[in-house]
Amino acid sequence: MELNTIKDAFDRVAKKQKLSTSKSQEVIDQVGHEIEQALANIQSIHDSASPVDQKSILAELKTKLNMVGPHNQLEGSQKELSINLSKFPKVLDKFFNPDISKAYRNVDFDPHIVNQIIASHFYREGLFDIADCLINEAGEPELISLKSHFVEMHRILEAMRTRNLEPALNWASTNREQLKQIGSNLELKLHRLQFVEILQKRGRADALNYARTYLAPFASLHMDEIQKLMGCLLWAGKLDRSPYTELMAPSHWEKLAEELTRHLCTFLGQSYESPLSVAVAAGVEGLPTLLKLANVMAAKKQEWQAMKQLPVPVDLGKEFQFHSIFVCPVSRDQGSEENPPMLLPCGHVLCKQSITKLSKNNTRAFKCPYCPLDASVSQCRQLYF
Amino acid sequence: METLSNGTTASPTATATVVSSATVTAPSSKLTQLAESLKLEHQFLRVPFEHYKKTIRANHRIVEKEMSAVISSVAEAADGDLSREDAVQHLNSLVSRLQGLKRKLEEGSRTEHLQAQRCRARLDHLESADTESLSEWNNTRLTRILVDYMLRLSYYDTAIKLAESCNIQDLVDVDVFHEAKKVIDALQNKEVAPALVWCADNKSRLKKSKSKFEFQLRLQEFIELLAFKSSTECATYKVLFETKQWDYLVDQFKQEFCRLYGMTLEPLLNIYLQAGLSALKTPFCYEDDCTKEDPLSQESFRNLALQLPFSKQHHSKLVCYITKELMDTENPPLVLPNGYVYSTKALEEMAAKNNGKITCPRTGSVYNYSAVVKAYIS
Repeated sequence: MELNTIKDAFDRVAKKQKLSTSKSQEVIDQVGHEIEQALANIQSIHDSASPVDQKSILAELKTKLNMVGPHNQLEGSQKELSINLSKFPKVLDKFFNPDISKAYRNVDFDPHIVNQIIASHFYREGLFDIADCLINEAGEPELISLKSHFVEMHRILEAMRTRNLEPALNWASTNREQLKQIGSNLELKLHRLQFVEILQKRGRADALNYARTYLAPFASLHMDEIQKLMGCLLWAGKLDRSPYTELMAPSHWEKLAEELTRHLCTFLGQSYESPLSVAVAAGVEGLPTLLKLANVMAAKKQEWQAMKQLPVPVDLGKEFQFHSIFVCPVSRDQGSEENPPMLLPCGHVLCKQSITKLSKNNTRAFKCPYCPLDASVSQCRQLYF
Repeated sequence: METLSNGTTASPTATATVVSSATVTAPSSKLTQLAESLKLEHQFLRVPFEHYKKTIRANHRIVEKEMSAVISSVAEAADGDLSREDAVQHLNSLVSRLQGLKRKLEEGSRTEHLQAQRCRARLDHLESADTESLSEWNNTRLTRILVDYMLRLSYYDTAIKLAESCNIQDLVDVDVFHEAKKVIDALQNKEVAPALVWCADNKSRLKKSKSKFEFQLRLQEFIELLAFKSSTECATYKVLFETKQWDYLVDQFKQEFCRLYGMTLEPLLNIYLQAGLSALKTPFCYEDDCTKEDPLSQESFRNLALQLPFSKQHHSKLVCYITKELMDTENPPLVLPNGYVYSTKALEEMAAKNNGKITCPRTGSVYNYSAVVKAYIS
């Protein structure tokens, strides 16, 4: 991006603006000076018989002011500024996409739905007062249960940021069964973090006590881990010089907070990433392609508004791939239930309709279009991605 | 700590390696993508510039007007027949008038300076976007887009609060919309006067764009003056008295206003959401087992996307059911005897943990790792 060119263009505008202002100041001063001069002259007239009277002074002032020509002076500087003022938007038009709504379909979004999406986003981000403000201002119904869920989540995470694991541990023990089901040992990881914290802050005796109460139940399943933690006890007070220094890394807190957030979101039936962020980020990535397309299709505005599928692919990054989409390399059709992907004996994959065509309606053997191997319809297997 | 690894810890670390390898192999594509996305920021620079321009013009007009008033006042005095006292008084009043103008000019130039700074702040903000610290920049962009949405829907308090909480006052157009707020509030109270003042202020620009807004305002004013008002039963005229007419005027005003400042007529949020949802929309999004990470798994987003087109793919994009990672040449898809496909990474790991046995997570069937075959997807 040629930001420097744009900056230069702007600097020119700002410079001319300054010049124009100082010119205005100068002109005002000039005129003021002349008037004050005339004023002094009039006031210095003492006897009325003097050859100069106020009338001639005023007439002289008038000619002087005409000579100063304030209008011409102001106009000159203003003209230069004006040229630059109208130039700058042209520079912007050149480097930026002047109208990003070109690819917009005239589909009205229901503002209530959008407002609720935004409010949910704020709750998720922990911006509770802003969410409440929006709901209030937009007159939307409150999302009470969602809000309370996220309040709880942020309470746990906030405590963790101040190295208080109590709320997180409470949550993990309440949800122990569910965590077990998905094969997570989050609870043990939290206890381990707490153990190391206690060992560092309060010493060996407290840590040992903690281990007896909270780590013992995990001993049968995670013996290695527990042994390692017991090893730490020998290094109480000098853990940083022990073979276990790695356990003290602050990154463990961040990682565990992230893992905890993932579980919290999953159990709330929510995604880990904010869906609004994901959708907008996809829009930022996809919009340039859509704008190019809209430019090409500018003559066919009707078609643009009515199409059921985009005519070209809009490539998004890996992070936006949520579904397996199979495209038959022969027919370019997207796989579907009626036309599923099929595995040929050679390992290549085509869609069912392409195979039907190649095999002349399932009547004879055919050659894979990608390798010379023969295949028959009966050898092909449907795939499930 | 990695000794603790199980299914849940394995996947984040796996994603991390994928992400890092992607940034190593494709920095140039990330850069082009960033450059492309910056090109969408026209309004971000245009709006504060239009504001700046407007202030400059207004300040200049004041100087010009005052100046010619002073000059012609001197000319008048010179042509008239003033007594000495009158002449002194006259000139004194002109001197103080000029002093007043000078103060105004100074004040005006302070405003101009602030607005120029705002333009610069935005240029700097665009410049600060680089692939290293992109996620924070992207978050700010989302906040900017949300503030824009609030301002356009007249949720001013929320807009101001949000901008303050993220400390991005210079990057959003709260000030500009302040001007709009006055007019909109008045229109909602069925008053046209502030809107007419606004039209007068922006006369030349409105004329250039052949705006009919002023005419519509006058028409509404005229209708309201009519004595038989809302009591009319005649359908053709009755419609003219409906409150809808005022909402229509508010909409018209918003459009004129946006056009004048070089803003898109739609909120940025709607534009980005529409593009994003079109690009994300596939028939699979509407199935029951759609992953929660897909925004289109949510009813609200599905509803917004209802009238949008589906995306199109020219090439297969396969996502592993187990790891949710893309299956490509580095992590090729493997087929179980039952036809279900998973990524090499997922199956290798499963086999390593279970003595070479693989359990299909969707059917429960158990196979030997040796029974899987590679699928070639082109």
